[in-house]
Amino acid sequence: MTLILDMLTSAAILFIVATGLLTIFGVLKIINFAHGAWLTVGAYCAVATAHMGLNPWLALPLAFAAGAVLGLLTERFIVRPLYSRPLDAILATWGLGIVIGQLITLWFGRDVQFTANLIPGTVDLLGTTYSAYRLFALVAAIALGLGFSYLMEGTRLGLSARAVIMNETLARALGLDTAKIRTVTFMIGTGLAGLAGVLLTPLTSTDPTMGVAWLVGSFMLVMVAGQSFGALALACLLLGGAQVIVSTYVSPILGGITVAVLAAIILRISPKGFSRA
Amino acid sequence: MNDMSDVKTAKLALDNVTSGYGHVDVIKSLSLDIRRGEIFALMGKNGMGKTTLLKTILGLLPLKKGRILLDGKPTDNLGPKGLVDAHVAYAPQDQPLFQDLTIRDNLRIALRSDRDLNAGFDRVQGHFPFLTDRLGQKAGTLSGGEQKMLIIARSLMMQPDLLLIDEISEGLQPTVIARIADALKTECEANGTTILIVEQHLSFVLGIADRWAVLKLGVIDDSGDIAGDTQDRILEHLRI
Amino acid sequence: MPDLTLTNTVPQSRRVKLLAILAVAAVALVIVGPLFLDRFALNVLTRSMIFAILAITVDLLWGYTGILTFGQAAFFGAGAYVTAMLLTHVGSNPALLALGLVLSIVVPMLIGGAVGWLTFYPGSSDFYATIISLVVPIVITQLIYSGGTWTGSSSGLVGYWGINLGLDGYFRLAGLSLVAIAVAALVFVRSDAGRILTAIRNNEMRCAYLGINTNRIKILLTAILGGVAGFAGYLYANASGVVAPENAGFIFGTELVVWTALGGRGTIVGPVVGAIGIGYLSAQLSGDLPFLWQLLIGTLFVVMIIFLPNGLAALATGFRERARAGTAPRLVAEAPARPHRESDAPLLDIRNLEKSYGSQKVLEDITLSVQPGELVSLVGPNGAGKTTLMRCMTDGAAASGGIVRINGESIAGMVPNQIVARGIGRKFQVASVFESLTVAECLRMARTTLDAPSIVKTSDVLGLPQTAIDILRLSGLDQMLGTSVSLLSHGQKQSLELVMVVSLEPELILLDEPTAGLTKTERTTIGEVLKTLTAECGIAAILVEHDLDFVRDISSRIVVLHQGRLVLDGTVEDVVNDDIVKKIYSGGGHE
Repeated sequence: MTLILDMLTSAAILFIVATGLLTIFGVLKIINFAHGAWLTVGAYCAVATAHMGLNPWLALPLAFAAGAVLGLLTERFIVRPLYSRPLDAILATWGLGIVIGQLITLWFGRDVQFTANLIPGTVDLLGTTYSAYRLFALVAAIALGLGFSYLMEGTRLGLSARAVIMNETLARALGLDTAKIRTVTFMIGTGLAGLAGVLLTPLTSTDPTMGVAWLVGSFMLVMVAGQSFGALALACLLLGGAQVIVSTYVSPILGGITVAVLAAIILRISPKGFSRA
Repeated sequence: MNDMSDVKTAKLALDNVTSGYGHVDVIKSLSLDIRRGEIFALMGKNGMGKTTLLKTILGLLPLKKGRILLDGKPTDNLGPKGLVDAHVAYAPQDQPLFQDLTIRDNLRIALRSDRDLNAGFDRVQGHFPFLTDRLGQKAGTLSGGEQKMLIIARSLMMQPDLLLIDEISEGLQPTVIARIADALKTECEANGTTILIVEQHLSFVLGIADRWAVLKLGVIDDSGDIAGDTQDRILEHLRI
Repeated sequence: MPDLTLTNTVPQSRRVKLLAILAVAAVALVIVGPLFLDRFALNVLTRSMIFAILAITVDLLWGYTGILTFGQAAFFGAGAYVTAMLLTHVGSNPALLALGLVLSIVVPMLIGGAVGWLTFYPGSSDFYATIISLVVPIVITQLIYSGGTWTGSSSGLVGYWGINLGLDGYFRLAGLSLVAIAVAALVFVRSDAGRILTAIRNNEMRCAYLGINTNRIKILLTAILGGVAGFAGYLYANASGVVAPENAGFIFGTELVVWTALGGRGTIVGPVVGAIGIGYLSAQLSGDLPFLWQLLIGTLFVVMIIFLPNGLAALATGFRERARAGTAPRLVAEAPARPHRESDAPLLDIRNLEKSYGSQKVLEDITLSVQPGELVSLVGPNGAGKTTLMRCMTDGAAASGGIVRINGESIAGMVPNQIVARGIGRKFQVASVFESLTVAECLRMARTTLDAPSIVKTSDVLGLPQTAIDILRLSGLDQMLGTSVSLLSHGQKQSLELVMVVSLEPELILLDEPTAGLTKTERTTIGEVLKTLTAECGIAAILVEHDLDFVRDISSRIVVLHQGRLVLDGTVEDVVNDDIVKKIYSGGGHE
């Protein structure tokens, strides 16, 4: 039972962390290698909220806003000139990640920070005692997934974004403002990354390089998922689940490379990952 | 019919337009005007620059020389978005639909806001009622002919003043062509819409157009009103 | 024969001299360096010079070949760990040190070969290579962590005995190794074979359609450069006396890319200067302002990627690359290198070919056969499936049904370079050439499979079949052999691509709209060339063309395609006077 809950909640956490990256990759076909830095920014928003003595839940909207505003600047000044050079965009955003990491270090120092757990304690679920926060993460992931589905399927912005994903030339020819759609998408993606950063704080230690550890895993999941959130959920369940199983029964260290290795194998067999299905 | 560039009264006027890809000129100093409320057919074999010309009008390709006037005003920098605001609709030839979107969303995307949705659907229903009956269906599941009708329907959603259509009849059965011809004619007569069709299908053109021109290697080779001798004259240009 | 060597053969020898002078100066610096430098500087520079070797390998992969890699750190780490583990667990003596050297090169090479094999397969994307380059260092690092006492886990290995050279000795060893590897790399990238890397970066598909097995080259490159990185790891493990998991990690891999980018990708010298310069400055400055220094490097990196993608070296050399007038080799007519055909089977034989995308049929029941010397034109309205048919003839994975045979041999399952090797040449609709190469270098690419290029020097003769030379003369390109392709006109590029295809000595040439966008004179020239090639040289040609006047003038046979079906196959007279054809071209056609 604990194992199943571990698998589900691990998948949920991976999903929360990867959504921001997928949003940007899906619409803009750009890998935002500063994704790790945005997670870190989000986590430090939680730290700052705690320092200021505010309600820890306030960190969520704050981190989304901070991520979105930084995303606006990044899209405008760094990513926009590089749409035609996707490999260079990876490098430039990686460089940006270094810059953000150093700025955080200058501001907060390089030490590990601790924040109050948003939901401490455990719950009894079907006879098992389990971390309340991990269960909350599962709920949050589902809420995030549903919220995002509504945004994509139910709103005009979502319709425009889907149109750009499917056929950008046609979208432009029909008079859609593709530049604005890109900017807004990028902001949502970075905002979600900030949000994910706050949600990570009770699970990991917060330090200036914490984001990098999550970057590669999210990157692999997004590559496997392609452009679809459903595929991302599936990838998180399968690969995240495999990671928990390997960590439990084989070795935690090998568990750490499960996601990356499986992703590489899946992409070798089916270059488009799960999105083809 | 020699005066092809009556700039002032034209709905759309091309004045000495040169354009192309990179440093290759595909359209060379071309002048042409489309009068308000007419259906104009631009014909020509493949590779002669028809689609290039349409893309230049839409601002999808840069105008290297000359002017393009819409209602007498230059369209510089309007771009596709500005043209939509100016009630110009475009029905492209390559990948013209979002295959994975529903009919409803494919029609919706042509509008800026959902406020005008019902007016648009009403217009579509008048011409192609089967589309409004099957709004939830994915566009990709429609037959080839139905997809073409959806393209036309989408361009009518925004109640356009000027409609640019790229080779809509290609590969279609005569019955479908007749339905599309009907819709365009009605649209033109009932709402005074100006329509520019780029075509290779001669009988379709003869059935609906008021005037025609043949494009060859980026220049107008011949042009005229649709009349008794039109068929032979155009065939002379299009044959092997 | 007019003397073509007059123009500019000077740079070649001058460049060799310059390189020799630079190398000697670098060696001198490395040897006398320890006399002037303090302990700290010696330490820092030794390490930086070893890292500079890695930067060279990143530059060859990324700057020259276009494969963005974060994975070179993994091979470096593998080499370093193999050495350290051997010296720690087995012992340290000269024989074991030599064995360590061999293993530190061979093991990363094997890993590199395996990684390359996994990464580069027909249809693989550049992105996939980058993904794998992230996975490899992560896997190696985790293996190190899980190695227990064997690898020292997270604390690494320390306290083994390496080569007894002292600080000065290691400085000189690292320096001399760096100079040797840099010179070898410079010589290679400027050689005829080295230009293949640039050609792959420029236009990999064209390489494949010149019969070059690009995947094999990339796998080989990954393996060899894995070995070089492993050698650097050997030096590092000896010189520093300590190895740690970070040495193999992807963060270190990204640092290598940063240095290469800042120094100037695609220059060899730039990345070396970048790696040493940043390494040295980091050590000097990071004590005083540690985070500010990283911040500065990061900012500089972002700005450079956006505004100056070719790095600081581009500032130093200005627009040298753009104006690079290469040497113009002497043209020599070569006897045919390809054996004469012996088969009695038709040159090309297509039976019941089908192609569909999902439920949509693009080609249906195409049956067609072509004999040597024929000039077949493929005509039909847009969307008739002409280009798709051409693709099915050059890619064994393209067709969905039916069979395509070349000289009696089915091409099913073959990749383009295998099909090209069987005598098919393809000219694309948009001239597919190599923008960063010169005219002569492009032509040499076309000869790669018939006439293996040198890996050390630039040849001053260019051997081509007589027909290819004739077309060069006709188009005037014979006077522009040293000109960069990016300076050619649209028509000249079309001609160049045609000469490249003819230089393959094909038995069948496929041409997709060879006259699109050409002037009247250029059209006539191409028409004459095609007539000569087929009528006199016995080459067969299949031509997709819209200009029917042109088709009428040159074809020996016309095939009409309409809505994915072959509706007519006959002489020019037959087709021009056929009613169905008239109907198709007046629109609509038959259902």
